[in-house]
Amino acid sequence: MWSLLLVILILSPFIGAVTLDISEIFKPDSLAYKIFFDLRIPRVLFAFFAGVILALSGLLFQTLFRNALMTPYTLGISSGAVLGAGIAIKLGLGAIAFGIGAISIFGFFGAMLTVFLLIYLSQFLKSSQHESLLLLGIALSLFYTSALMIIFYLGDAMQNDMLIRFTMGSLSVIGWQNPILLGIISFILFLSVYIYRFELQLLSISESQATLKGIDTKKVTLLLLMVSSLGIGTLVSISGPIGFVGLIVPHIVAKIHPTTVNKRIIKTALFGGFFLVFCDTITRGLSTQSELPIGIITALIGGPFFIYLIITKAKR
Amino acid sequence: MIELKSLACGFNEKVILQNINLNIENHLSILGANGSGKSTLAKAICSLIEFDGEVFIDSVNTKELSLIDKAKTLSYIPAKLEIYDSFITVDEFVLLGRFPYKKSYFDYSEKDKKIASNTLEFLKISHLKNNIVSSLSSGEQQLVLIAQALAQQSKIIIFDEPTANLDPHNSKIIAEHIKGLKEYHQIILITHDLHLASYVNNPVVFIKDKTTTLYENNFFNDDNLEELYNVKFNSLVAQYD
Repeated sequence: MWSLLLVILILSPFIGAVTLDISEIFKPDSLAYKIFFDLRIPRVLFAFFAGVILALSGLLFQTLFRNALMTPYTLGISSGAVLGAGIAIKLGLGAIAFGIGAISIFGFFGAMLTVFLLIYLSQFLKSSQHESLLLLGIALSLFYTSALMIIFYLGDAMQNDMLIRFTMGSLSVIGWQNPILLGIISFILFLSVYIYRFELQLLSISESQATLKGIDTKKVTLLLLMVSSLGIGTLVSISGPIGFVGLIVPHIVAKIHPTTVNKRIIKTALFGGFFLVFCDTITRGLSTQSELPIGIITALIGGPFFIYLIITKAKR
Repeated sequence: MIELKSLACGFNEKVILQNINLNIENHLSILGANGSGKSTLAKAICSLIEFDGEVFIDSVNTKELSLIDKAKTLSYIPAKLEIYDSFITVDEFVLLGRFPYKKSYFDYSEKDKKIASNTLEFLKISHLKNNIVSSLSSGEQQLVLIAQALAQQSKIIIFDEPTANLDPHNSKIIAEHIKGLKEYHQIILITHDLHLASYVNNPVVFIKDKTTTLYENNFFNDDNLEELYNVKFNSLVAQYD
């Protein structure tokens, strides 16, 4: 299975709306060269790192809150980013600094503000009430969505078109800046999760078990949440929200490798990366004039597979 | 030696324990009615909950102890294992008791693994080592929790209603282990199970009306029990011998 995924990763850059002639690719002044090295390869890498961030964040949220439904998506962090981006689009803001667009910056702050809001609100909950935290996240999501609807209502046709494109999520990138940025962030996230893997193993038993074995659970939880939110905030601000990957990839890997969380970190990261590259390859393969949004494919493939997993797990 | 100085705790403005002053020199059983604050007292000793006043272990205030040092000093065994992870096996779970001692960044040491497997042998549950913890019976889970606490090698072990979910046969097995462990550890036993308490035969603290009364002996006589629990007793005797 892993080798199959690796083959997809290698083949992926060759698939797309324009069929590339392999002999042309390595001629530096050809169009094929430009498409391959400035569009396809960066895009595959971007998709891979995006998958790593989504999958690891899902694993992290599920473990830290000991709840199978916790992801940055279900907690409203992605919606926060979308609303931030929506505000930037409505205000008609362009690039602000260092070539980074206002949409990205607003999206990033939308995500981070949501995290702080959740952390602030969670102080009013008992430490065991993680269901309430999930409800808070869902409530925030609904609130953001309604706020976004108002922006739609007030927006003109062009703004609304941009906004719709953004909310559908897209992995198309031009050049190497975004893939490199995301690569660095996904590496930081991976390293943080890996360093705390034994703490996570204890946290996945229960909070009191972790405390009784000498872990400062509040500190570890906050630190890992911040790193993962940084990753999600950056990703969503560039690509728009990509649902389902963070929710299902950790569960799929757990199903294939039923071991404790510390032994699933590397596999979850890799599988997340491969899975998103796979889904993105399909969107490019199917595309004719305009591209299918990536979120549609992740949900179309992931949804039925996930239902299958839940049903077979329930039988056991 | 555990000292409690004007300890008080409560939840949501409801006072559960008030002005508790207690010197626990060695083994102790804590008894009391439902909701009287037995578990609260144990959790305050472990700093699992917030409390007013002070807890000293060997003259050190627990608020000044690091979490790791606390873990090396005392372990706490809950009545029922709460567990989210549905894959962890018994030997992996018991090895978690070695977390406070883990030095290498990469893995638990061979010595840690040896200690963990020794505790399984000691409790005669080596045959369970590859089983998934969350699918064990309550009796087996209680034994696995004890194994983890033993791997933790803490001086003090706090049992919080160890037989609450167990049938008489499993209760007897646990009771024998607790009694046996008195030789190596300071045992604090919180329980409703009068058979267990009289068999383990520690001095007893009875919690009533938010305060404690210490009974060095003479707790387990019918008149005393009747007065405390408001139920007629007829020669409660230890059934496990």
